[in-house]
Amino acid sequence: MRLYLRPILSLSVRAIFACFFINKYQADYYRLSLKSAHFEVAIVTKIRNIAIYGKGGIGKSTTSSNISAALSEEGYKVMQIGCDPKSDSTNTLRGGRFVPTVLDKLRSGKRIETNEIVHEGFNGILCVETGGPEPGVGCAGRGIITAIELLKQKKIIEEFSPDIIIYDVLGDVVCGGFAMPIREGVAEQVYTVSSSDFMSLYASNNLFKGIKKYSKSGGALFSGIIGNSINLPINEEIIQDFAANTKSTIAGFVPRSLTVAKAELQGKTTIEADPDSDQAELYRNLARKIISNESRYVPAPLGTDELKAWAESWYDRLLQHNKNQEQQDTEPVKSDLKYYELKPDSAKAKVK
Amino acid sequence: MAAVIEERPEDVIYPEVMEAPRYSCALAGAYSTAVGIYGVVPILHSGLGCGIGQLFGQFYAGGQNAGGPQGGTSTPCSGLVEEHVIFGGEDKLRRLIKSSIELMQGDLYAVLSGCVPSLTGDDIESVVKEFREQAPIIYVKTAGFLGNSYEGYELFFEAVIDQLLNKLPIKKGLVNIFGVVPYQHIWWKGNLRAIKEDLQKLGLDVNIIFTEFSGLENLIKIPAAELNIVLSPWNGQRVAKKLEEKFGTPFITLPGVPVGPKQTTRLIQEVSQALNLPTEPVDELIAREERHSYRFEEYFGDVMILAFPQPYFSVVADAGTAVGIAQFLTNEVGYLPDKVIIDDGTPEENREEILRELKENLECVVKPEVIFDEDSHRIRENLKKGNSLVLLASSLEGPIASEFGCVIHVTVSFPSYNRLILDHNYAGYRGGLRLMEDIVSKYCGPL
Repeated sequence: MRLYLRPILSLSVRAIFACFFINKYQADYYRLSLKSAHFEVAIVTKIRNIAIYGKGGIGKSTTSSNISAALSEEGYKVMQIGCDPKSDSTNTLRGGRFVPTVLDKLRSGKRIETNEIVHEGFNGILCVETGGPEPGVGCAGRGIITAIELLKQKKIIEEFSPDIIIYDVLGDVVCGGFAMPIREGVAEQVYTVSSSDFMSLYASNNLFKGIKKYSKSGGALFSGIIGNSINLPINEEIIQDFAANTKSTIAGFVPRSLTVAKAELQGKTTIEADPDSDQAELYRNLARKIISNESRYVPAPLGTDELKAWAESWYDRLLQHNKNQEQQDTEPVKSDLKYYELKPDSAKAKVK
Repeated sequence: MAAVIEERPEDVIYPEVMEAPRYSCALAGAYSTAVGIYGVVPILHSGLGCGIGQLFGQFYAGGQNAGGPQGGTSTPCSGLVEEHVIFGGEDKLRRLIKSSIELMQGDLYAVLSGCVPSLTGDDIESVVKEFREQAPIIYVKTAGFLGNSYEGYELFFEAVIDQLLNKLPIKKGLVNIFGVVPYQHIWWKGNLRAIKEDLQKLGLDVNIIFTEFSGLENLIKIPAAELNIVLSPWNGQRVAKKLEEKFGTPFITLPGVPVGPKQTTRLIQEVSQALNLPTEPVDELIAREERHSYRFEEYFGDVMILAFPQPYFSVVADAGTAVGIAQFLTNEVGYLPDKVIIDDGTPEENREEILRELKENLECVVKPEVIFDEDSHRIRENLKKGNSLVLLASSLEGPIASEFGCVIHVTVSFPSYNRLILDHNYAGYRGGLRLMEDIVSKYCGPL
């Protein structure tokens, strides 16, 4: 009996393999033709999926929302998906209001209508919040996985067919759930928002580790660091040095600005609240740079010890820097706040 | 078309995969321990599969036993789904405990939390505390991934000690028995009864905890014991140590549940020494029991010599069962030990003691090859290299015993799908007789 079954089995196995190869080649063929169409006609034929990561509180939601707002002004149809249990990523696009989240709807147990989870915000931007559990309970990582799977399952993206999707993702990629947007079939390009603080760069380094892992299985690739809260040249230098050490690039620098804080208090993006400000122009430049940035690569994350050694090397330089500063200034700069008080909204477009 | 069948080389070892391990997960061990104590209502805080899976994988495999009135499909379960993974399952657990106390009659409720709440960090303790006024209730954090069924037994008793037991005045002559894991040690019910009967002859009050109707009472009186007796080279040791630390109860360990006169005499002697019992009545008891037992062994003397005198035998079992059977067959029947395969995942630190029992304490020039392995594939490969006529193993080896050159196979260890085991056992003075009945009956007949 076994002897008779074997050839049949092996034949069917071969047939399955044959199907697999045909599909793979076909898929490659389609992908190639899509690419050539993109270059020849020079229009975006495919949805541009961008993930923006960063340590909590570093300003990634502010940056994401302003980029979304700037891109919508350019005429793109933008969807912003907040992947954070705090579900406040799109607040400034919706007048400071929270929107019902995907997981809230899922928890209600009722049939989910697409208009209940996709909400229109400033300038027609489509706002989605994955949501998540209360602090201290449940598993937020699993929440993100479930929400993104639900978006796929409900064919939400196809239904709204945006030109650009921006995923605004929390944190240090601490578990598989937070890595969901960089896994195969979600985002293709990843940016990280980071200040020059060590912990923020540590989070970026963790993100690099995640990207490196998933790059082998078709995951997203890195496109650049967005330096945020820059108020001194040395902040830029630190981030530039980190980029050099991790073989990564810088997409742009965003200086600290009171305009941003003022706009946020009104529940608006800077672009909406103060469209003529320098800061708004800076976000527009950053958005343009991001949309034209085709560079995608796997960064080289530092090992734990290397990262520590690198940070220590900067500690000495920072001490020296502060000493020099004290000697130069008759009125030494004591804090960031002081600096702002002296030069309110002195931000100049630093995006090159 | 000619079929080409590639023969797999025999010595291929696959270190990263395991075929049919002979135990289930930590949740299963805690679950079967709870079900083994009469009057305990287990409340599973887990996915539905955790409960139903153990019915097949732990209860039925443990000698085709059902779970009883609180086990199996009657067990309350929070049936966690994705919603509870994301948002936490504490509310669901709260409602489940409330309805379980209302609907299920029991003396003690035991919340057993599985893998999902352990990953999402549900605060089981605070939910359970809300019900402390309403009913006796404990919780056991027994994520399946913490270990195997044997680990679940330890976790259950550790929770009992921490949450239920209080210091009591020592009751003279009261001893507790540990180290027998319900369902996982397939002879648990009969073994405990037999050991209790033998130790009662010393005038002791023997608390076997399991199987008796006074389940909760048995648990509560654990700290009142004069001595804890651990009948396993490693199961129950942690429990006994914890009881020693908390209540100062001393404990003795035997390498397994004793099988036949010699091992039972050793148990009686060690217990009576530990309790400083007068020697004369003890010696009298030993002489009387041994005489009776050996008189009965004479009845199978002829068939043993005529059928297959001094055959090689192999054992595949948990450590305690393996030591008991190997020592009885070698030391008292004259069988020759070939391979002893210990399949319970014995921790490294306990292996030396087991090796000593299986080498030095065997009165035979032939010493067995002792192998610690839980993988059914590798166990088969090892048995193939052996030279045994008699194979005492699990039901997994039953249908293929002849491939190893074995003419007799008796199921003595987990899983036992081909044997219903209710009260049968190989423990105590008469236990060896029952083992010989089972082995030799396979040879006898058919007419």
